Amino acid sequence: MDAERNPFGAAASADPAAGNGRDRVLEEIAVRIDGDTDIVSARQKGRVLAATLGFSSSELTLIATAISELARNIVLYAKQGEIVLRVLERGDQRGVMVRAHDQGPGIPDIRRALQGGFSTSRSLGLGLPGVRRLMDEFEIESRIGQGTTVTARKWKR
Amino acid sequence: MEGLQGEYERALRSYLRQGGESSLKQAYELGRRALSGGQGILDMIALHQQSVEKILGDTQQIGVLHQAGDFFVELMSPFEMTHRAFGEANDTLRRLNESLESETRRIARALHDESGQLLAAVHIQLRQMARGLSPGAQFNLTEIETLLEQVEQQLRNFSHELRPTVLDDYGLVPALQTLAEKFSKRFDLPVNVDGKVNPRLTRSVEAAMYRVTQEALNNVARHAKASRVSIRLWRIPGEFHCCIRDDGVGFDPAAVAKGSRNTLGLLGIRERLTVLGGTLEIESAPQQGTELRIFVPVEA
Repeated sequence: MDAERNPFGAAASADPAAGNGRDRVLEEIAVRIDGDTDIVSARQKGRVLAATLGFSSSELTLIATAISELARNIVLYAKQGEIVLRVLERGDQRGVMVRAHDQGPGIPDIRRALQGGFSTSRSLGLGLPGVRRLMDEFEIESRIGQGTTVTARKWKR
Repeated sequence: MEGLQGEYERALRSYLRQGGESSLKQAYELGRRALSGGQGILDMIALHQQSVEKILGDTQQIGVLHQAGDFFVELMSPFEMTHRAFGEANDTLRRLNESLESETRRIARALHDESGQLLAAVHIQLRQMARGLSPGAQFNLTEIETLLEQVEQQLRNFSHELRPTVLDDYGLVPALQTLAEKFSKRFDLPVNVDGKVNPRLTRSVEAAMYRVTQEALNNVARHAKASRVSIRLWRIPGEFHCCIRDDGVGFDPAAVAKGSRNTLGLLGIRERLTVLGGTLEIESAPQQGTELRIFVPVEA
């Protein structure tokens, strides 16, 4: 069961979509995003989750920033959606995953959205390209009229 | 990072004890080193925060300071994203420039070597053909040969404009000396090139510096009404410097910032240097001549 089939519920821990089955899910929290106060809650839960892995305080800030950017996008473009936070294990590595899912309008030109120069905020490197640079892995799926799923992971070094 | 942490803490302690510009300069140098070592804005805040906390030791304010630091890091996090974006864009620009240079070099070589050889072969064939021909036909062939020589000369010029082979074969200083000689003859304006650049710079820095000097000399010829130009180059560990000075009419450097039409050349120079992480300083005033001071960071 993945976020697409069950967008607003907490997904079960055996998630075939997570890193093509490479990653074991050790913990999971889902936060429904409906407005600005939910962004606070997603940031806070993500920070606590990542802290259990021993990320440094600046890394925790980067993770919280990535959550903020993704959650802001949901509020801004889709009005509502969900942020799923996970503690992952891949081989002997541990890390966090942030997945943002919405059923909003979708992104018409993903490449452009990721390259920047799309709007003023993005040309400063904020938004999705910013998240890509802050995290170690970044994936995006979007369909016009159906929604967007962004998955980002950061591994503990 | 550990080394930097210790050095920063010592420099900060010394500054807090006795102040002074030299500690400030040390902080600046440490910042430069951290930047070229790939450190980000949040790393620097953490560095500062940890140093201050260590210096203050176990005092009452330490909790407040620590919390305020955490708060400040959040404020700076968007700037970290922009900082990373800039680094990535700059890397892309550098790679693009390098591939452009190598493509240019390939075309210049092909024009110079391959086309040159083909034309030489054509010359030989023509001369052999000429032997059996009537005087009238021989005269026509001579005309063709003259035209061929013009084509050759033009190909050589194109090749040189694209990428002077002297740059690849002998390095920046000899290439600039050749450039200066040609310039001196053409504009009847003495240009002195002085300096040593050992070991040689990377190809992309050499190419960029050649173009920069070319552009600077063009500017002098176009606007300066100078009677002499001097170019000095030197390299110290981690730094390459070049200083181009003329004794011409000068201008108001503030006009460059505003981007008036006559300053397009200087903007081009600045852009080339930016790609290399370098800087351009312009010192000039009306009737005072002009000095361009160029700095490019290089491997130590």
